[in-house]
Amino acid sequence: MNRIGLALLGIALALASGRSMADVVAVVSVRSPIVALSRNQVIAIFLGSISRYPDGTRAIPLDQAEGSAVRDEFYSKLTQKSAAQLKAYWSKVIFAGRGQPPPTVANSIEMMRSLRDNPAAVGYIDSALVDDSVRVLF
Amino acid sequence: MNRTRHPRVRIIVAAMAISWCALGNAAQDAAAGSSSVAHVATDASPSTFAFNGFGTLGVVHSSEQNADFTSTTFKPNGAGHTHAWSAAVDSSLGAQLTANFTPRLSAVLQLIAKQNYDDSYRPVVEWANIKYQFTPDASVRVGRIELPLFLLADSRQVGYVSPWVRPPSEVYNVVPITNNDGIDASYRMHVGDLTDTVSAAYGRSYRVHFPAGSSIEVRDLRGLISKTEYGAALFNLSYVAGHISLQPVIALFDAFREFGPPGQAIANRYELIGKLTTIVSAGASYDPGKWFATAEWTEFDSHSFLGVNTGWYVSGGYRIVQFTPYLTYSALTVASMSAAGLDAAALPPSLSGSARALNAGLDAILRERAVQRTLSAGTRWDFAKNVDLKLQFDHTRLGPSSPGTLINLQPGFRPGGTVNLFSAAVDFVF
Repeated sequence: MNRIGLALLGIALALASGRSMADVVAVVSVRSPIVALSRNQVIAIFLGSISRYPDGTRAIPLDQAEGSAVRDEFYSKLTQKSAAQLKAYWSKVIFAGRGQPPPTVANSIEMMRSLRDNPAAVGYIDSALVDDSVRVLF
Repeated sequence: MNRTRHPRVRIIVAAMAISWCALGNAAQDAAAGSSSVAHVATDASPSTFAFNGFGTLGVVHSSEQNADFTSTTFKPNGAGHTHAWSAAVDSSLGAQLTANFTPRLSAVLQLIAKQNYDDSYRPVVEWANIKYQFTPDASVRVGRIELPLFLLADSRQVGYVSPWVRPPSEVYNVVPITNNDGIDASYRMHVGDLTDTVSAAYGRSYRVHFPAGSSIEVRDLRGLISKTEYGAALFNLSYVAGHISLQPVIALFDAFREFGPPGQAIANRYELIGKLTTIVSAGASYDPGKWFATAEWTEFDSHSFLGVNTGWYVSGGYRIVQFTPYLTYSALTVASMSAAGLDAAALPPSLSGSARALNAGLDAILRERAVQRTLSAGTRWDFAKNVDLKLQFDHTRLGPSSPGTLINLQPGFRPGGTVNLFSAAVDFVF
């Protein structure tokens, strides 16, 4: 009985943490003039195929650390691509001499700080970390 | 053998080295005390540098022991006759330095060490160019740039970017040249979610070496390529034209000229000296993440004994966690396999014997052109970060009396048969 209870608690915790991880949101600073971006626009900015926001200003995408759960979740949600597929994509761009991937920040706290410091930046965080300094795009 | 190529390479490398040294100091000063995020934060960011590398360690075994399988016609030997298991076919090591001097001005230098035409592994400059970005969507490059052909035009040497052990020979080996010394201009257009990049390239003169002392020179190369991206779909259309000359000239054609106007006509038709060569290619790929499908078609016409070569492939794969099994079917054909030759019967008996011998020589040259079909099955396994392992099995049926893309044909070799190939490769990037 006790064992079953523990197992159920374990499953509940796993599901809860899995759910919270799945809620990755794309964000910009509240000082950013960008109010909304479509999914395809965010994909294009993060994959480097466009370098400007729809209003013509320069877009600066920021990535979370390689191997972090929030990063893998963001890309699998947006592009259905695994970390290895993204690495292959960026290798194609880099070795063609056509660009470099977005700069990375160490963690979500750094991400929030960078977004606050730079209204041109766009990033992504776990939705649980959203506060009044950032605006959720979707 | 590489003498003709060295001076130009040295000049490019020296020019880039000088500019890097000059700007490197400025970058060091600026880099102190600022994070990488701060670097991109303003338009007036200082120079940034990136060093990246890639490589492949691969082995290939061929069932045909009387000929060699190679991945490009620039290699002198490979798997089969020379080596039972050859590491030369696919192994390579590449290093690249990218410099962003300003948001508009950048340069790239890429060196690749792999088996060369002379069996050495001396690194070769794959790219060495300077790019100026006029607007976020318009740029010009000068230096050694890619030949604007095929879906993998600018990354065909990097194993890690592709699902296969190597791009299908039936298309990619039709034009083994990967780069062009010249200039190109690109313009990117956005129509809704559709992005189309059009590039025009020009190269004045470029020489590449084949094994056994032969080489080809390409002059006045012009290229036009359009790449269309729409979500997970990618389309590619390209056209390249140039004047190609083969060195040394084939003596057989000079012998034909001794037979007056009919012989001269044959020589002019088949020799490869300053001939206008056109290459068109079209490709499409769809990769929504869980699976991929890709197909390419190309036609090469050099107006010479090489004939009109048509190559195509279709390939698809499905991703299961870290594994991506795939199937590829590819074919290479040549239009008009036989030549009329000289009318030996109409010649005096003293000449008809040599005319027949020349005709036989021409027939032999035309028969040696590559015709083949290949069914490939394999899998990619992304077993660790930045590293993959690929296993691939190829079953190739050679065209009637053709050796296909095989080289180093031995006396026991019988054209027109089948060849089985097993390849294993580990690709990595850093």
